[in-house]
Parts: sequence; structure tokens; C-alpha cells
Amino acid sequence: MAAAMQLNTLMSNMFATGLLDDQFQQLQMLQDPSAPDFVAEVVTLFCEDGERIIGELAKLLDKPAVDFDKVDAFVHQLKGSSASVGAQRVKNTCIQFREFCQGKSRDGCLKTLDAVRNDFYDLRSKFQTMLQLEQQVQASFYPKQ
Amino acid sequence: MLLDAMMMEPRKGLMGRERERDQFPVGMRVLAVDDDRVCLKVLEGLLRRCQYHVTTTNQAITALKLLRENKDMFDLVISDVHMPDMDGFKLLELVGLEMDLPVIMLSVNGETKTVLKGITHGACDYLLKPVRIEELRNVWQHVVRRKFSNRETNNLDFSKEYSKHPTTDSYHGLSQVASGSSDQGGSRASKKRKEPHREEEDEDEGDDNDNDAQDNDEPSGSKKPRVVWSVELHRKFVAAVNHLGIDKAVPKRILELMNVEKLTRENVASHLQKYRLYLRRLSVVASQQASIAAVFGGRDPFLHMGAFEGLPSYQPFASSAGIPSFNPHGLLSGVGTAAFGLQDLAPSKAIQCASSNGAVSHCIGDTNKFHIANLQENQQANLAQGLTAPLGQPQLQQKWIHQETSDLSSFFSGSALANTMSGTLQRVTSSSLPPVELLECTQIKVGAHSSIRIPPASSGLLESTTKLDASFVAPEQDMDQKGKFPERVTVLPSESLIAADRSKCGTRSSGSTMLLLSDTERHSKYLKFGVASNSRHGIDEMVNGSFNYNGGASVPEQNDVYDFGNSKLHGGFNSSSCNFDGLLNSIIKVENDDVPFADNDLGCELFPLGACI
Repeated sequence: MAAAMQLNTLMSNMFATGLLDDQFQQLQMLQDPSAPDFVAEVVTLFCEDGERIIGELAKLLDKPAVDFDKVDAFVHQLKGSSASVGAQRVKNTCIQFREFCQGKSRDGCLKTLDAVRNDFYDLRSKFQTMLQLEQQVQASFYPKQ
Repeated sequence: MLLDAMMMEPRKGLMGRERERDQFPVGMRVLAVDDDRVCLKVLEGLLRRCQYHVTTTNQAITALKLLRENKDMFDLVISDVHMPDMDGFKLLELVGLEMDLPVIMLSVNGETKTVLKGITHGACDYLLKPVRIEELRNVWQHVVRRKFSNRETNNLDFSKEYSKHPTTDSYHGLSQVASGSSDQGGSRASKKRKEPHREEEDEDEGDDNDNDAQDNDEPSGSKKPRVVWSVELHRKFVAAVNHLGIDKAVPKRILELMNVEKLTRENVASHLQKYRLYLRRLSVVASQQASIAAVFGGRDPFLHMGAFEGLPSYQPFASSAGIPSFNPHGLLSGVGTAAFGLQDLAPSKAIQCASSNGAVSHCIGDTNKFHIANLQENQQANLAQGLTAPLGQPQLQQKWIHQETSDLSSFFSGSALANTMSGTLQRVTSSSLPPVELLECTQIKVGAHSSIRIPPASSGLLESTTKLDASFVAPEQDMDQKGKFPERVTVLPSESLIAADRSKCGTRSSGSTMLLLSDTERHSKYLKFGVASNSRHGIDEMVNGSFNYNGGASVPEQNDVYDFGNSKLHGGFNSSSCNFDGLLNSIIKVENDDVPFADNDLGCELFPLGACI
């Protein structure tokens, strides 16, 4: 089935490029009949929360006087959730981000925020594709009569 | 964002749950707390895969509420470190104290200092995100370990159940122990903080458990006879501990040194645990007093409450409707003890105590427990004890006086311990309850010892007081010689307390919280494990709106919120009706419950005392 193959290719690609790490595989293993939508739920939550955090970060860094502690707190949170999901690249960018926070470098933070945003959006769109393909695969297994 | 995502799995029927419990660790009930929804979800998934029963919440406050509502609802708590509504470490401490549940910390931050902080706050374990399922599969051991030591402390006869594990009853036994031991959060927490010792004890306990299993084969019917820790016994105990050195004091060796018939290693172990708790508390108090002392210098300890008003950190005392009529003088005349947590008095007294360093007052909230009266060393060694007012946060109301003398060892050895304060801890019940009841002043002088328990009834108080006076007469002289505060002095406080309490009886009578501070140095090592960060900022955070220090009246309402350990005291804070019974029961009955006071005390004192770390 085309959808299944596409999904396969997509996933391999995401792992190969370092977008995802084996933590994501752990999540996949947690999905079972008792939690059939586990991955989808986690991924969706991640996308929502990530979006929100990035928005908050942008706002904080936009102020003339940046509250680096708050920025750091948000980045910390994003780092945590990306680590839990297996979003390796986003997580690594967050690590860099925190260094700039600790150095209280606004420019550094702004630059890294851009990087985080890019990585995040990239991941998010791939996640969305993944979810769609998943649904198609599922649908093809249980075709409507 | 943080919707209160409290998702509770539908509770299985009783039968289902029973079945689950039989297959422990399957069905172990975990409460997961993390403000990050993604992490929470992942954690939930992992825990479910381990076949645990998971409840999640992304708010620490909700978690606390859940835990407080029903102490028996969970076996384990896993919590994130960084949360917006409450610091994970604070939650950790509270849970450990109040519910005596094992808590595992979780964080993406794996820095050594943060992990260390987790340990010192009493975490059973510290996991790094992303958590692997293999790590979670093993967390049940923390539950068992805790129950195991609780069992021993409780002198409950569950060893046979463990040894027969897995049987259908094993988990029941575990859960029963857990619930029964939920009152012992404080001691557990302290145990956790002294991991090396703890492990040692655990190993020893394991051996003993096996023996016990063989010996006691009948179910329920046979209970080990309770050991009453008399003053003499405690004196020996302290002597042994001091001889070995508090760091190296293990139950086995202590038992050997004590050479008491019919005393089991387990008895010693549980006693040791409590003792360590006291020491820790003392150190906390000591540091507090030190700070207070710094403020008040050598002023008369019996400053009026008003004096404290100015002290920002002790605001709670200021306005609490403490014992207005309480006259500090009575308490601390010369004695450096007078911790009247309740509101008005304590602070000044405490300070005095700290500075004077000579107070030896024994007030033992619970005779049975550590009525280690204070040992007056013949020589200079007296136990300088400062009574520290458990900085009377309203929460501390239910403190009971507890006194312990660690200098018994010096007593034995005859060496004067210059300011060695071993743990003379006195906790005076704070006002909310007619704590006086809990007030028990025991003085032990070399050879002289009297413990008096103040019965709940106010008349009882009078009696107690009288007794105290009588008993203290003798020591008095000795004390005087040393220039220390005569033990007698201690008695006075109780009188005053009683009087004070009387006047307040029914309302928040201010129990006086008397804390005798031991040598700070000696316990400095415990400082680390003490209240920790919470104490300082915790109080503020705790106040948070629900908790108002300044007004004694507010305390009762807060009961459940940030009630450090007091919640256990049956919400006795409610102004007019001090639920004393529960408190009394838990505190006074040594026989049944070795540790209860610890909990209360810890909860009450440690945190509010703040300033320690």
C-alpha cells in the first residue's frame, strides 16, 4: 500500500536525519490495543505545546528588557517535552538556547529561537504527515464495507 | 495551558483492585505529576505499560490535594522538578512528611547538584527525562522498601508476609503497612536523607525480618511486645549512639552496647530513626535560633510577642492569637528554652535559649516516645538546649513537646560534654490544640528523672505541672551550679503554658513549642537534610493565599493546603474545636506508634522553621 510505504519512508528519513531519536521508538512501542492512539496523542500534544512555548519565547524576547529566567524556564520546558517525545533536533537546539539564556545574550537567544522555530516547524509538519499516513494505513486495514 | 488535566482512570472495582494487588507490583498505584503535558502523557504511557495503575495531574497543588484526601490512595509519587505552581522539591518534602510515600523525581536536568538536592529532600530516586521504561519497571522497589522499614518501625508483624511473598496477602500487607505508616512521613523522610545509614539499617532489618518470620508464624494474633523507651533506656541508647558516633551508629552495635535484655535490633533501629529525626530537627531549630538570637542578642528571652512583630520572618508569631497571657518568663527564666511556636511567645524565648545555651528543659510531648529528659550533666556538660519556638506558624500548632537528651551518653560516661547537646528536642505543642495536653516535661538529671505527661484535661495540666515542679527541684540545684538553667525552669514553662493554654483552651490554645536545641555543630550535618530549601522560601510560598501566617485564625482553614504534616493531626486547627484526640492519640501512644510524633513534628517544625539551610 502506498500509504504504508510512504509512512515507512518518512519515518526512516526522520530518524536518519536526526529529527527523531530512539525515544520516539519507545513511544511507538507503548502503543497497543489498550492505547491505540497513544502516539498520535503525544505527538499532537507536543505540537500544541511547542507552538505555544515558541510563541511565548518570541514575546519575551521581544521586550526591551528580557527576563532571561522566564525565557530559560520556557526553553527548559520545551527541552523536556522534546526529549520525552524523541524530538532530538529540537532538544539539541534547546540546549544551545539555554546557554545563551544563561549568558544573557539576547541576540544569541533570538538567533537560537529562530533555529528552534525552524526545527520545530519542520518536525511538526512531518508529524502531521505521519499522522495522516497513519490514518490512511489504518483505514486501509479496516476498509469500510 | 495547564488545564487541570487530572485524568483518573476509572477506579476498578474492589475485586479488581484486590486481584491487582495480589500481583504486586502489578497494579501499584502511581501518582504522576508534571506540568508538561507531553511528558505527563509519555510517563503515563510508560507506567501503564509497566502495568501500574496511573493517575496523572499537571498541577502539584492538585496532587497534594489528592494525596491528602486519601492517604491510602497511592503507593508512589513521581514528580517533575520544575513546575510553575510549586517547586518539585517542596512537593517532595511535603509528600514525604505527610504521607510517607516514596517520591521519585523526574527532570530533564541531570546536573549533580540538582540530583543531590533531590536526595537531600528525600527523593527515593531521581530519573532523567526522557525516562526509559526499564527504569520505571523497577520503581516498585521503592514502595516495598519503604513499607519494609515502616513495618519494622511499627513493630507490625508483617515479616512473615514478606517472607512468604508472593502470596495473596503480601500486597495487602504492604498496603496496610503503607497506610499504617503513612503517619510516619517524617521519620521516613529523615531516613531517606541519610541513605548510607538507611541502607545499613535496611540490610540489618532484612536479617531480622527473616528471623522474625521464623519466629512468628501465626498471623495477626502474635504481636511483638511494644518496647517502651523509658528514660533509662533512652539514656543507654544515647550513650551508645554517642559512643559509636552518630554516623556510625548502627542498630546492631547500639544494641550490643546497650546490653539490654529483650531489646531487639528492630526496636533500636526504629528508635534510632526517630532519634535522628530529632537531631535533625534540632539542628534546624538551632540554626533558626541562631538567627533569632542574632536578632535579639541576649535580651530577655521573654520578650513579649510584640517584640517579634518586627521580625519579618517571624510574622506568624506576631499576630497569631497565641497565648496572650503567656508569660515567657515563666518558661525561660534562665533557661534557654522556650520555643513557643505559637505565636507570641516563642520567638523571643527561643532566641534566648539559643544564646543562653543552658537550658535544659525536658518537655516531652510524649512520654512514651523520647522522654529523654534532659540530662544534666554534672559538670559543665549540660545540655544546652534552646527551646526553639517552632516559629509558630500556625501550622505548627500541633506540636508537642518533645524532649530528648542526647547527652545521656555523657551521663554514662561521666564526661562532661561541654555544650554537647545531644538532641534535646522539645516541641511544644502549639496553640491550636490544647496542646498542653501533649506537654510533658521530663527532666532527667543524672539519675533523676521524672516524666510527666500532661493529660488532656486542663486539670491534668495542673497536676502535671505540680509534678514537674517537684521533680525539678532536685535538679535545680545542679543546674544552678553550672550556671545553667535549672531544669526546674522547664517546669515553669509548662506551668505557664498550661495557664496559657487554659486561657486559650478551646481556641487555638497556644501550645508552647519548646525546642531544645542541641549543639548545632553536632547536628549541623543534619542541617543539610533538614528543612532544606523549603524552609526558607517554602513558607512564603505556602502562604500563597491559602495560608496566612499572621492570623492564627487562618490556620485552620489552611489545614489541608500547606499543612506540613499537621494535616495529619486531624485538622485540629480549627479554632474552637481543637481536635485533640487524634493528635493525642497519635502522639501519646508510644506503644502503638513509634513515629507519629515525628511526623507531626517534622511537619510542623521543620518547614516553618525555615532558615536552616
